[in-house]
Amino acid sequence: MNDRIYEHTESDLRSRLLMSRGTRRHRRLGALAGDTVLIVIASSSLIALLFIFYFIIKDAIPFFQIEGVREFFTSTRWYPSREDAEFGALSILVGSTLVTTGAVVVAVPMGVLAALCLSDILPFSMRQVVKPVIEMLAAIPSVVYGFFALVVFAPLLQEKGGSLLSVGALIVLVPVSIIGVGVASDLIGARFSEGSRGVARIASAAVLSIAVILVLYQLNRFLGGLRIVSGTNALNASIILGIMALPTVVSVSEDALNAVGRELREGSYALGATRAETLLRVVIPAAKSGILAAVILGVMRAVGETMVVWMASGNAARIPQPIFNYLEPIRTLTATIAGDMGEADHVTGSARYHVLFAMAFCLLVFAFVSNFVSEMILRRSRKQLG
Amino acid sequence: MELKTRRMLDRSFTTIGVFAIVLMAVSLVILLQPIVWRGAGAFIFRETVENRKLNLELLGRGSRAKVEIEITETEAARKPVYDMMAAFEAEMEEGGSAFRKQYGREYSELRDMLSELLGPLPGEKNPVLIRAQYGRTRWDRAQVKFHQIRYVEKYDYSDPDRMGVKIEKPRSALFESTSIEPLFGYLEENIEQMMLPKLTFYWRFLFDRSFDAHFFGGIWPEVLGTFYLALGAMLFAVPLGIVTAIYLAEYAGESRFVSLLRTCISSLAGVPSIVFGLFGLAFFINTMKISNGKSVLAGSLTLAFLVLPTVIRASEEAILAVPRTYKEAAMSLGAGKWHTIISVILPAALTGILTSIIISLGRAAGETAPIIFTAAVSVGRPLAIWQTLSQPSPALSWNIYNLATEHEAVDEIRHVQYGMVLTLVAMVLLLNLTAIIIRARISKKLRG
Repeated sequence: MNDRIYEHTESDLRSRLLMSRGTRRHRRLGALAGDTVLIVIASSSLIALLFIFYFIIKDAIPFFQIEGVREFFTSTRWYPSREDAEFGALSILVGSTLVTTGAVVVAVPMGVLAALCLSDILPFSMRQVVKPVIEMLAAIPSVVYGFFALVVFAPLLQEKGGSLLSVGALIVLVPVSIIGVGVASDLIGARFSEGSRGVARIASAAVLSIAVILVLYQLNRFLGGLRIVSGTNALNASIILGIMALPTVVSVSEDALNAVGRELREGSYALGATRAETLLRVVIPAAKSGILAAVILGVMRAVGETMVVWMASGNAARIPQPIFNYLEPIRTLTATIAGDMGEADHVTGSARYHVLFAMAFCLLVFAFVSNFVSEMILRRSRKQLG
Repeated sequence: MELKTRRMLDRSFTTIGVFAIVLMAVSLVILLQPIVWRGAGAFIFRETVENRKLNLELLGRGSRAKVEIEITETEAARKPVYDMMAAFEAEMEEGGSAFRKQYGREYSELRDMLSELLGPLPGEKNPVLIRAQYGRTRWDRAQVKFHQIRYVEKYDYSDPDRMGVKIEKPRSALFESTSIEPLFGYLEENIEQMMLPKLTFYWRFLFDRSFDAHFFGGIWPEVLGTFYLALGAMLFAVPLGIVTAIYLAEYAGESRFVSLLRTCISSLAGVPSIVFGLFGLAFFINTMKISNGKSVLAGSLTLAFLVLPTVIRASEEAILAVPRTYKEAAMSLGAGKWHTIISVILPAALTGILTSIIISLGRAAGETAPIIFTAAVSVGRPLAIWQTLSQPSPALSWNIYNLATEHEAVDEIRHVQYGMVLTLVAMVLLLNLTAIIIRARISKKLRG
């Protein structure tokens, strides 16, 4: 509204005091031309997106015409360079899914916890220190992560894999199980009458902790005895990708958490809830759509990443046996495109060239859809929070 | 739950949260530590006399007189080795076929390794490849080679449940009671006199071109290629991005078209980088034919599309951060809309826009996937600026991948790879640091 009032008075003033009719017409024409140019330039990203879709689809269609859709999505036989080439991309699709799942498992709990810390727990001065750390993690180029995965992490995993895994598992599981035992024994104790409560708590805590220690010991032995044949495998790629996707998850979910109003938090505190209860029962449910959007964006980052998976995942086009075996090498869509185009480029027009565009099309559709979904979620949550 | 448990839960929740942050910081440190430490090894290392020889003969660096003195010194120290080898060869001649059968293979292996350590042995023809014309130029590599000379590596696979165990046996045992056995003892004592290691600061690593497939020399073509690609991308992306940002911030209302435009921008930001690469190949090279095959221009254009959303978003934010009062004051003085934007809003938003440009520049410099098919080659000369229109160039990001995975002697040139990684990381982090500092200044200014 304001703008219009200004423009009105402005043009009024001009017509009365400053300009003749001719200048006015010139001005108006000039403004019209300027606006048109402005809109055309501003649409550059729209045009770019259309172009990308057009050129990827244009080169992807011939593949589906030559080879059909079914083989691509259902067969695991990937032999693009043979005389009678086969283009079953199922194992590659599975590889992408596996790595992405692994990355999400690494990035989401850590990212959401870190975001909670940033928005609610850490004092302001600490936040100023932590933010640059996140920005640096986000700024480091993906090829550097890939280099680290290949040159530093893979040999380490290969040589000391078992003990590394068991130490990692203990670091995560010991605190979790201590808390779990504490809560469980408390809950069990609450079922008994006032007098015997203390005894029941201690007894259940003792029994539970012995059970947990036994389980942890067995797990530790199992992991410690694992033999990792190749350091470049799905696990390596997942961990590094997870760390790469962390900044995205942290910053988007922190925004979501900050958008939850002070009133909700204060209301919860006023009812006597502790900070953890406030965060878990009030703030996170209120921010859940924003956090979901963060997870989707993190997934997108992981699916679309090329260099890390190309260098760290081992590039073997087969489905691990059993399927959750993260210690086997796998191959992803992005790595296949990057690795095969060098050879396929010489034979523009062959199915081998077009299959890579078909893969790029899958990636593009996935990215587009998940971006759209996350936009919708964010928009709706913004409306809800007012 | 009891109050005690609730309090404990609260505290442990806080601990876990802080632990997540610490873990993040630790992973950053773990990532950067080997890069900085070993990357520095590309610049500061102990060079052997072979490196000084190479510098003198290939690049004309260093003082000839000094190097010649050193060469005579080392030749004197090496002479007994060559003598022992000659004696052993004579022994083999005499020993007949049984003797030769026993020692022939082992000796030729030893001989090859000595030639790799010390450079061409006397009597050898001058080899074609530069890497064979000189011995080990770096003391760390020389020590690795020396270790290989002293010990034979074997793997023990006798326990089928475990991986092969490495066993090292002294090589001298292979040549027991022959005339060459004392060689190992002599090497042990005199290796430093034979190589004369000296600490050196090779700052020219950044500005030298590479020799013999990155075995020697520096990374200037890669650095330059990265500059061209990133700056070229900004050349296209910045004008487009700023104009779009102006449109979105100052002209657009809440129409359908604008919300479509915003969706497009965020979708473009979500397109995987490798898809940009394929698009660049299909559009700029195969359809538009802007160059005959890969070129820096095609790579820059592809990267420009990639960073466009970043530039738009950050510039829009910067424009929106300009206080409304500025605009109102300008308009009340009778300035038109364009006039206001050009002379008041843009200057006020300039530092913010600059920040966005700097961050995008870092992003463009680090991207690899979009330039694989459009701009990058593994070896090349530094390009002049007009050559970027038609020729491909090596770039840091691509060459890190290429040297770490596809090079014929990956381990031999580890230091070059680390040097490249360090250079790239330093470039990107410095750019980001600048942006952070500028942003801190702006927020200080806005706070008053």
